[in-house]
Amino acid sequence: MINAEAEQSTLVSRAGEAFQRYRQGEQQAMAELVAMLTPILWHAVRAQRLDRESTEDVLQTTWLALVGHADRITDSRAVLQWLLVAARREAWRVVRGHSRQSPYEIEDDAITSSEEELPENMVLRDVDDKILWSHIAQLPDRCRELLRVIAFADRPDYAELARALRMPIGSIGPTRGRCLAKLRSCLASDARWELR
Amino acid sequence: MNTSEIPAWESLAAQPMDAVDERVLSQVGRLYDLVDPVPDDLVDRLQFAITLDALQVEIATLQLSGAGELAMRGAEQVNAMKTLTFSSESVTTMVTINPDGPDRVRIDGWAAPGANASVELHQGSTIREVVADADGRFVFSDVEHGLTRFVIRSAEAAAHPPVATPAVEI
Repeated sequence: MINAEAEQSTLVSRAGEAFQRYRQGEQQAMAELVAMLTPILWHAVRAQRLDRESTEDVLQTTWLALVGHADRITDSRAVLQWLLVAARREAWRVVRGHSRQSPYEIEDDAITSSEEELPENMVLRDVDDKILWSHIAQLPDRCRELLRVIAFADRPDYAELARALRMPIGSIGPTRGRCLAKLRSCLASDARWELR
Repeated sequence: MNTSEIPAWESLAAQPMDAVDERVLSQVGRLYDLVDPVPDDLVDRLQFAITLDALQVEIATLQLSGAGELAMRGAEQVNAMKTLTFSSESVTTMVTINPDGPDRVRIDGWAAPGANASVELHQGSTIREVVADADGRFVFSDVEHGLTRFVIRSAEAAAHPPVATPAVEI
């Protein structure tokens, strides 16, 4: 069911609209787009186990690629999906480059959520936050990536964005999907957990 | 072990999402923002990289003369008068920053060569533009504090490419 109001209010549609204005010559719309989409793209790239500095480089390359290819993107409404695909591809390219130099990257991959386990004790002081984080950390990598990215989008976009992340159909939206269901059932069976 | 038992999550997976899912997801987003925040000025730097890419600009450097700390992230805002000098191959730009009311500043600048040059002041996605006089002098008044860059374009387009300064906290 499509309703005009819902369509206007999602991240994907707002991004598409801004990109459309940019392509019509409104330079300022690109700055809006960068401000709007940098958080979701940041988390999409960081989920690929890139360090923060490399992530900044990946994002810069991705945005410059968008500007360079702006006239070749067939559907401006899908600009966020295009950016997600491009950013992940660039992230893999960089990760592969790193791995060739340092075999530790590969060994690191075998350890579940090595990166996610590090900073939380420093930042998360709230008990409920720590509980939720511990369950997030135990999800399979792909699920963690999916939830991390769609957490920065709006519900009507979930299925579309999951597709851009190359997740199987039905991973999320309109049904809950496997990843969110796993998290929900972990939380449900954790007596300490209480949703505020 | 009961192998015929369907894990709870499998039946949960086929159900439509509900309000609790929405709240869990918003908590997930909040936690990732806490644990791995987007760098404060990343949006600004990305926007500027796109601008530079489009302009094919020359990048000026800030001359360090006691003003170097201004270029550092998180530097304290300048309350008293400060003068900064940026230099690049084709243009030298000096800007003096003075308080302009309680929380604004006035910027008096001089670009050389800069006769009738167009000078842009970039703060995030906000861009203001003035034209320098015949001596290369320009003024921006009522400027907010924040990470600021200047782009100087010669009045004679062929003279030199646009020059962009690094961002300084003013």
